[in-house]
Formats: sequence, structure tokens, C-alpha cells
Amino acid sequence: MPNTRISHVPPGSQDLLAGDVRRRRRVQSTWFALAEEEGYQEVIPPTFEYEEVFTRSAGPELAARLIRFVDRDGSLVALRADFTSAIARVVSTRLASAPMPLRLCYAGKVYRQQAEGMGRRRETFQLGAELIGDPSPAADVEVLRLALRTLWALDIRDFQVNLGDIRFVRPLLAGLSPDAADALRTAVDRKDRAALAAGAREIGAPAAVARALIELPELIGRSDVLLRARSLASGPDAEAAIERLRAVDALLTEEEREHVVYDLGEIRGLGYYTGIQFEVFVAGVGRAIGFGGRYDGLLALYGADRPATGFALETDALADLLAEEG
Amino acid sequence: MRPLRIALPKGRMMDEALTLFDAVGASVEESARTSRRLILPSADGRFEFLPVKSGDVPTYVESGVADAGVVGLDVLGESDPDVLRPLDLRFGGCGLAVAGPADAAYPDLPHGRTPRVATKYVESARRFFAARGVQVELIHISGSVEIAPLLGLSDWIVDLVQTGRTLAENGLVVFEEISRSTARLIVNRASHKLRLEEHQRLIADLAGALESTA
Repeated sequence: MPNTRISHVPPGSQDLLAGDVRRRRRVQSTWFALAEEEGYQEVIPPTFEYEEVFTRSAGPELAARLIRFVDRDGSLVALRADFTSAIARVVSTRLASAPMPLRLCYAGKVYRQQAEGMGRRRETFQLGAELIGDPSPAADVEVLRLALRTLWALDIRDFQVNLGDIRFVRPLLAGLSPDAADALRTAVDRKDRAALAAGAREIGAPAAVARALIELPELIGRSDVLLRARSLASGPDAEAAIERLRAVDALLTEEEREHVVYDLGEIRGLGYYTGIQFEVFVAGVGRAIGFGGRYDGLLALYGADRPATGFALETDALADLLAEEG
Repeated sequence: MRPLRIALPKGRMMDEALTLFDAVGASVEESARTSRRLILPSADGRFEFLPVKSGDVPTYVESGVADAGVVGLDVLGESDPDVLRPLDLRFGGCGLAVAGPADAAYPDLPHGRTPRVATKYVESARRFFAARGVQVELIHISGSVEIAPLLGLSDWIVDLVQTGRTLAENGLVVFEEISRSTARLIVNRASHKLRLEEHQRLIADLAGALESTA
């Protein structure tokens, strides 16, 4: 009778050997070479932290997925679920008086609970960067460009970045009951026309808001979408969103623009991001393998109010794409 | 580039879906439809259809193996896949309902006994009873749910009701409807971005066809 505690590893964990290790190292070394060239310095935050570091910034979705345990003194600690939270803590404490802007990068594992049966791992490799102290569109583009260049450096060509600005949708959900806001947020996220129309009726939305909600699933495409969206923008926040996306678009090269889809209904990071946000989609992988954006309010939660923007890519997914090339 | 791959639920909903695709110029030849082929190409070359069990449609679409799919809202309520849901296709209408023998008590059993409820739709049933604050014991079974109360396995059932005939034949009545369901178009998130123009055309075509039959 074999001992199954030795012959298996817990669900969602795994050993990496041979090619799986080499491909991950190749992704990481490509990444660090690129990041260093752009002036980003590596940070290695601890593997576990007081859980508050993560619950303070993360929405309820991530907070529910922390892998926690009780420390010697009874404090709750959690395995690193996210590099950005840990880096926000470092910047607000040890680097509080460092000259801005700060350019920081990282690569390592993050740990999150996953439902069983979906084939998802509980420990995954990520890489990414944070640019802290610069509120400009140029900073947004610098970070977005770094993500694009990472994919190109790995010879990944067939990909699209889905780019939106959270300030376009946020005012449409303002002032609603939590349940109504949650239902509408879900409908926007799923581009569910029927639910959006029903939701707009249910909340008795003014005509302009109802029209914007119903049109949201269509507000996706190349830069001409930004012109269409401008006529639907309601209020200063939504106008600032369009203005920022147009400024970003103007700074992109023609080659970069081919990989950017503007999507005003992009709201995956509601509650975390405060300005532009993006997701990275690569041919052959059915879900986003990267995400990023501006999170100006986040560092204030740790005591240092600074504008910030950043991104993370899933190293494992990138490594698997290298495998397909042989 | 390969055609968009659309997962369809085998059975009546697949026939209705193919009729809708036919209306937008993407027909499947009769010989292919009746064959046991795993993938059915549309004659215009735009799509290939992947017939699978209805409960598996969300899995194929969420993983990206299929670019899009057609599936009932009731199935989405069970697996809650992370996919886009752009269109209500309006066919395949049915209701999820709590039912039981005509003489069974509902919603309270005598002496405060905890009701046992047999169903294929465990998640939807759990959400419904939880929202009502009713504690039940859910029993997951995978077919012929309507015989469960007759055999003494459960007090009530939660099941799909289309005409109510199957229920009546087994001496059951609907106590309460939980939700209405129709077929939805679902789309993989990554495919939607990587092949945006094709997906936008598909959604516009189907919406147009629904409009003209409305």
C-alpha cells in the first residue's frame, strides 16, 4: 500500500522539472533584462505577511482566496496573494522618503485558494512592475508598453490588450443599493444586453444613463470607439476617462495600437483600479493572462498617498506558450 | 484562420440553434447534421458547430476550446462560468420550479421536519432556499427526478418544467416557480478580444435574426 501523502502533492500544487523549469527561467530572465534596461529595480517581498496587508487593498474576491494560518503569537498571516499589496506596504514604510518616481519590478510565486475541479493551481508564478509617483498618461503608457515588449521579447505575436478606464462606468453605478450595483456590475462585465436593459429599467435610470448602460457592450473596438463613447459620457469622471484613453492612444506607436482594443465596459478591477485598466489575452489561452492599470488610491491605504500604475503577467501561461513552439 | 467554433447542446435546443444560424446564412447540410460527426461545419465556412452535452457547453467555452456556445440560463446558473453572455436567444423557454406530490406540505413540513429535496440543479436550489431562509437537505440525482418523491427519496423536487405534463403523469404539482430560463449566446472572453470583428458580426447577425422573427 503506497503512502498517498508521499506519492501525491496537495491539489493545486505541483513539482516543476526539466523543460517546465527552463521555460519559466527563460521568461523571468527575459523579463528582468527588459525591466532593468528600463530602470526598474527588483523587489523580493516576504512569502508571508500579516493578512491585513492583503485584505486592506484587495476586494472581497481576493480576500476570500487568501491562504491563511495562525502565527506563533496568534496573529493571522497569509501567503503572498499579490505582489502589488506587498510593494504598496514597502513603499509606504521603508521607501516613504525615497525620491519619486519609483520603478520597481518582481517575479515570483503568488498563492490563492482555488475551487477544486477547475484545473487551477493554488500557487502560480507572476512577474510584473509598479511605477509609483507619476500620474501622467506617459506613465500609463510606459507600463503598458513594458507589458507589450515582454510578450514581443518572448516571440509572442498573436495577442490583444483590452484597455478601458474604470471612471467611465463607475458613475453609472454610483448611488445604487449594493445589490442593484452588484447586479449591474455583473451585467456590464458579461456584456449581457438583456440584463443591462432590465437593470436600467429596474433602477429607474435617467435616459442618458440608461442609454450609456445599454450601449456599453458595443463600446469596444479601435480608437474610433473613443469618439463614440464621448457622446455617451455622463459627467466629469467619464469625460476624464475618455480624455485619458485618447492621451494614451496618442502616445502609442502604430505597431502597439494594433494590439490594443478599447473597451469601455472593461471593469474587472472595479474597487482596485482608479483609472485606466487592462487585461492581456493571448491566442491559445481562453482567459486573461495579465492585468494592469492605475491604482492611485491604493498606497494611501498603507499611509503614503501616491499615484501608481503597474501590471502583472502570469509567468506559467507565458512559459506554456514557449512550450508550444518546441 | 479557422472558423469560429460554436458549442451546441445536443437535443432540441441544438435544432433550434441551427435553425437560427440557418437564418443568418450559416446552414449545416442535412447529411452532416444526421451523421455522427464530432464537428459540423457550416456551408458558408464561417462556423463549425461542436455538439456536446448541455452541461458541458460552459466548460468548452470558458476554456476557449470553443469560441462561443448556446446554452440555457438554467445551466449557467449551475456552473456560473466566467464567460460573456451577450444575447438572450429567446428559444428553449422553460422554468425551474419546486414541485411535489399534490398532498405534500409546502413550504413547511409538519412537526418542523427538514424537507429533503431531490434535484439536478443543486446550486440553483441552494440559492433559492437560502434566499428564503428555508433550510433543506439537497439530494443530487442525475435523472428521472420526478420519481424521487414517489419512491420516498425526497419530499419535494426542484426541476425544469416545460409543459408540466411529465409532472402531472407522476401526480406532482408545481408549488412555486424559481426562475425562467431561455437559451443564451455565451462567448469566451479571450476569443472575443482576439477575433473581435467576427464576434461582433455574429452577435449583430443573430440579434438581427431574432428581431425579424419577433
